[in-house]
Amino acid sequence: MRTELAEALRTALLEADPRLSRFDPLPRIISHDDFSRGHCGWSQLVGNYEGDLDTMLPGYAQHSSPMLSTLAHWDAGSHGGYGSSYALKVATRPRPGAQNVAIKRLTFRKRGPIRFEMYFTFKPEATELTLGETDVRSVGFLFDLQGGDRDGDAERVMPHIRFLNASDGDHVQKWQYKRQSTKFKPIGNSDKTLSHYHLAPDGWQDLPGGQQRLCYNEIATKVNWSYLRFDFDLAAMKALSLQCNDRVFDVSDFDSIRMPAMKNLWCMLNFCLFAETDVAKRAFLYVDSVCISGDF
Amino acid sequence: MLPESITAIVARNERWTGEAATEPFEAGWAREAVVFVRALKEPAGAAPMAWIEISPDGMHWVPEGTRLKMPTAKDEIAVARLTCFGNWLRVATRFDAGAECTVLVTIHLKA
Repeated sequence: MRTELAEALRTALLEADPRLSRFDPLPRIISHDDFSRGHCGWSQLVGNYEGDLDTMLPGYAQHSSPMLSTLAHWDAGSHGGYGSSYALKVATRPRPGAQNVAIKRLTFRKRGPIRFEMYFTFKPEATELTLGETDVRSVGFLFDLQGGDRDGDAERVMPHIRFLNASDGDHVQKWQYKRQSTKFKPIGNSDKTLSHYHLAPDGWQDLPGGQQRLCYNEIATKVNWSYLRFDFDLAAMKALSLQCNDRVFDVSDFDSIRMPAMKNLWCMLNFCLFAETDVAKRAFLYVDSVCISGDF
Repeated sequence: MLPESITAIVARNERWTGEAATEPFEAGWAREAVVFVRALKEPAGAAPMAWIEISPDGMHWVPEGTRLKMPTAKDEIAVARLTCFGNWLRVATRFDAGAECTVLVTIHLKA
């Protein structure tokens, strides 16, 4: 049990630390990635394959490595991050509907509350001297989770949340979640590997009250960082809270993509960041920093 | 702290024909880069030269000066070693009609 004094000390230390003061982590910091020290374990989400890369589903085949970016723009130079010169950049290809996903792969040691916090922004590639506010279709994040090998209720659970910025040129600006994935497809012939493209465009549902206008700014090369927090309980495998900037959203209707536990994924604790473009222009998700914490 | 070092996969199992290039990659933090181009399948037709391009903005590209011969056989690897490339990097090439190569392009960066 933590004493009140210990909690007060913890809070005081957090609030006095310029790197952590802008986060509200739970008692244990699982990771704090500010991308001024490197890629911090965020890599590309590679699809499953067996025998031949041609067996990889097309949704995954388009993915490429995230990069460290200074948000360098042709007209204003490097924008830089929130607290350093660098941010993680997830860039799509310049094709309508193209997506890219970065992932951090961990496992958990206790099924309890976890908190995912990040400072993020998004923009299209500045190939035109226009605002481009409807060029990025969506940015978002997902977790990929599975209970422990002795847990009776073990499922694979994948909470997905996206900010649908635009759809076919319509400036939608709302938060959505997803309960359905595509069907699993066997990969190869050994009966060891399956694959499903869980970021397929269908199946997204609106989060009640999930309309939000973010600070997009006034040309394609000006960006502002936004705060996001998502709380999830690994014990009940349920969402607890979603906040973006000054808005806290009701997640009582939220549910995750759920499927039977898979044979090689016990205690999996994966975090993904993704971007999707609505037009034939690259979409960029920039993440200045991520703080993942837990109560254990 | 050890200097940052990363392997980035910028093209995987992409069938290149005609004008081809990797997606723009930002590497301004790196002092050196090594680029490998491996043929994942047996190439068809004449193997062209490829070249490294750099850019002020990730949108307008200019040859950096380094050239590499595209692989002529499956699993053959072409390589380029780079310094002083600014921020943006990509590999570009041009195939004659009927020629192609399915590539794995990796960039190895070191601070």
